[in-house]
Formats: sequence, structure tokens, C-alpha cells
Amino acid sequence: MSLDYVKFSSGFEKFMPKEYRDMVEHGPFGKKMSVSQMGSFKEILEEHPMCAGCAMTLFIRLAMIAFPNPEDTITVGTAGCGRLAISQAAIPFVYGNYGDQNGVASGLSRGLRLRFGDKPKDVVVMAGDGGTADIGFQQVLHSWFRKERFTTIMLDNEVYGNTGGQESGMTNRGAVLKMAPLGKKFEKMDMLQMAKVAGCAYVATVVPNNPRRVESVIKKAVLIAREVGSTYIQAYTSCNIEYAIPTDKVMEDAKNVENDRYQFSEYITDEAKQFLTERYGYKEFLPKPAAPGLSKA
Amino acid sequence: MYLVAHIDVEICASKSCKLCTQYCPEANTIQYSEEMGKEKGFKYGSAYVAVDRCKGCAQCVWVCDNMAKNNAIKMIMIDQLPMAALTDNITYSDKSTIAVLASPAGG
Repeated sequence: MSLDYVKFSSGFEKFMPKEYRDMVEHGPFGKKMSVSQMGSFKEILEEHPMCAGCAMTLFIRLAMIAFPNPEDTITVGTAGCGRLAISQAAIPFVYGNYGDQNGVASGLSRGLRLRFGDKPKDVVVMAGDGGTADIGFQQVLHSWFRKERFTTIMLDNEVYGNTGGQESGMTNRGAVLKMAPLGKKFEKMDMLQMAKVAGCAYVATVVPNNPRRVESVIKKAVLIAREVGSTYIQAYTSCNIEYAIPTDKVMEDAKNVENDRYQFSEYITDEAKQFLTERYGYKEFLPKPAAPGLSKA
Repeated sequence: MYLVAHIDVEICASKSCKLCTQYCPEANTIQYSEEMGKEKGFKYGSAYVAVDRCKGCAQCVWVCDNMAKNNAIKMIMIDQLPMAALTDNITYSDKSTIAVLASPAGG
């Protein structure tokens, strides 16, 4: 949980595996890395057992690059595909029981504040649609109502991909899946609206076919969660296995779904805008100067 | 045998859009090397694939063909690649990487 833990112990440097040496010498710890530098530095995420072409993995990869201080970040997850990749990273990962990730993160976030005081330690929950909207639903909502200061990211693949293709609350109405052969009979849950009602300071939807946007959204969400309150990101991360998307068409599907039901949206409270502007120098929320032609009218 | 992505250095270094490095689901699989392009007289570097990490999904092919419109990436059987980059032979520098190409079969 600090830069000290990504150093070599004295005398052990030559015995460490190449991946570890690369991480210490050319990793993102203590530096500002962005998606435009991808392919030129050692990433936090390592090799993982996720399926070939998985959009969820791409999102997780981008998310880990976007963390503002990876050396001071803990990820929390639960059962689901995502944890197979999130756990293969050079930052601590806490694996809760199914659905209790936001409860675990609440305690962790409070404990870190007691232990480290003003030094920011970021807690980021990354769980699937089942863990967030179905099985972990009450803990997620309660953590938002309590305004717990951490970020919740839903990796929404619109299916229980790990267990053979059952419908989840986030599956679209009418979707036919291996374990839902008659098609889902109910609407997709509107978690975005629920997040706003529950008092989240920042709510956004993203699709991983825009890496820079993913980076910007995650950075904002993690920074706001340091002081203002809960933040929520809902990301469409298709399951190419359960939805039978050819792996080379995964980004085409992401584009289609973005146009269909996952348009980029961002909700941010005035308090969070002010916090980002004053504390981190964001300029996008400053009042826009009136156009010179209009001021005369 | 299985398919891996292979990037044409001459096309890539002349465009150097780096889009594939941002869209690969595997970390540190499509890498970027300044030297690889400059060796061939280009101003910019080229992307290349660490074939031991490539799962063969071909997402980079779609991105290169349809988003960047460069058509620089093809899927090739790994035994048809005489020389390729392997993770053990990749070293990092400040803003780029250097790969010593080797036979993937020998690795």
C-alpha cells in the first residue's frame, strides 16, 4: 500500500523474476501513465486466464492504467469472471463472498482512513452485473445511501457468464441465453437512476471502445470518492462466449451496443465538480466564458 | 499450431497510430518500439506482438482494419513466423521498448 512495497529487498534483486524486475523499474508506480503510453511501460495487470478477446479484460486493463495512484489503491471484487483478471495484478485485491464486496469495501475504506489519515488510499470495487445488481444489490445500495467513499464499477456483461449463461437483472428484456431459453421477461434494471437516487456523487456509463474516455471517467470517479462520496461507473463489457460474438467482432459489438443502449452519460454533483476543480485543477467544470458576439446582444 | 497476430512493421511505422496497443485485452502483449521503425528509416516506431502472450482473438486486426484503416495486422500460424518477439527478450526504456527477435519455436 505504498511505494515501499514495490521495491527490491536488499540482495534479492537478481533472484526476482523478470516480470517483477520490469514492474519495479518500468511500472507505473509513482509515475503518471496514460493510455497513450500503452505498450511502452510494464502494466499492473499480468497474464490472466480470461477468454481470448474478452472486452471485460480490456476494460480492466484500461481501468488499472487509469487509477490515479495505483500504489495506493486496493481493488475489491467478488465471484464472477472479472476477478480472474483483477487478481492477477500488482496491486492488492480483496475477494469477498458473493455479493458482499461493497460491505467489505466500506469497512476497508473506513479502516484505511483511520490508519492513514489524510493520505489518500483508494478503494475500487470491480464486480460483475450479478455481484452488483442481483446478489450484492442490497449491500451496494446501502453503501451508496451511507455515502461510503469508494468507487463501485459494474462490469456489465448482461449475463452470468461464469456459470453457463443465466439471465441477470442487467440482461436485456427478450434476450435468449443458454439458461434462459424462453428469453428474459423483465426489463434491464436501471442502476444508473438508482445510483443517483441513492446519492452517488458521480455516475457514468462507458464502453471500452473509447480507451481515453474510460481513463478519464475512472480517474474522476476515484478522485471524487476520496472525499465527496460514493461514485458509480457502469461499463458494458460483453461476454463473447455467452452472446456468441466472434472475438474479432467484439469492438464492433461494443460500438453497436453503445449506439443502442449504452450511450456515454455522466452525472456529477455540484459538490464533486467544485472538488475536482479546486483540488485537482479540472477545467471542464469552470463556467464557460460568453462568446464575444453574444455579449453585445 | 495456433494463430497469433503479426504486425507489418513497414505499414505500422509509417502510420504509428498506436491504436492496437490500446485495444488488446492482454496486458503488455502489443508493445511499442521506437527502434523497430527507425531501423527501417521511418520517423516513428512500430507496434509489435509478444507472441507468447497473444491469445489470437484478432481484436487488433479489426481495430487496425476498421478504426485505423491501416490493414497492418494479420493472423499468422505461429510456426510460419521465423522470428518473433517473446516476453523474455523485451526490455523497457523510458518511453519505448526494445525487442530482440527470436524463433518462437525455439523459445
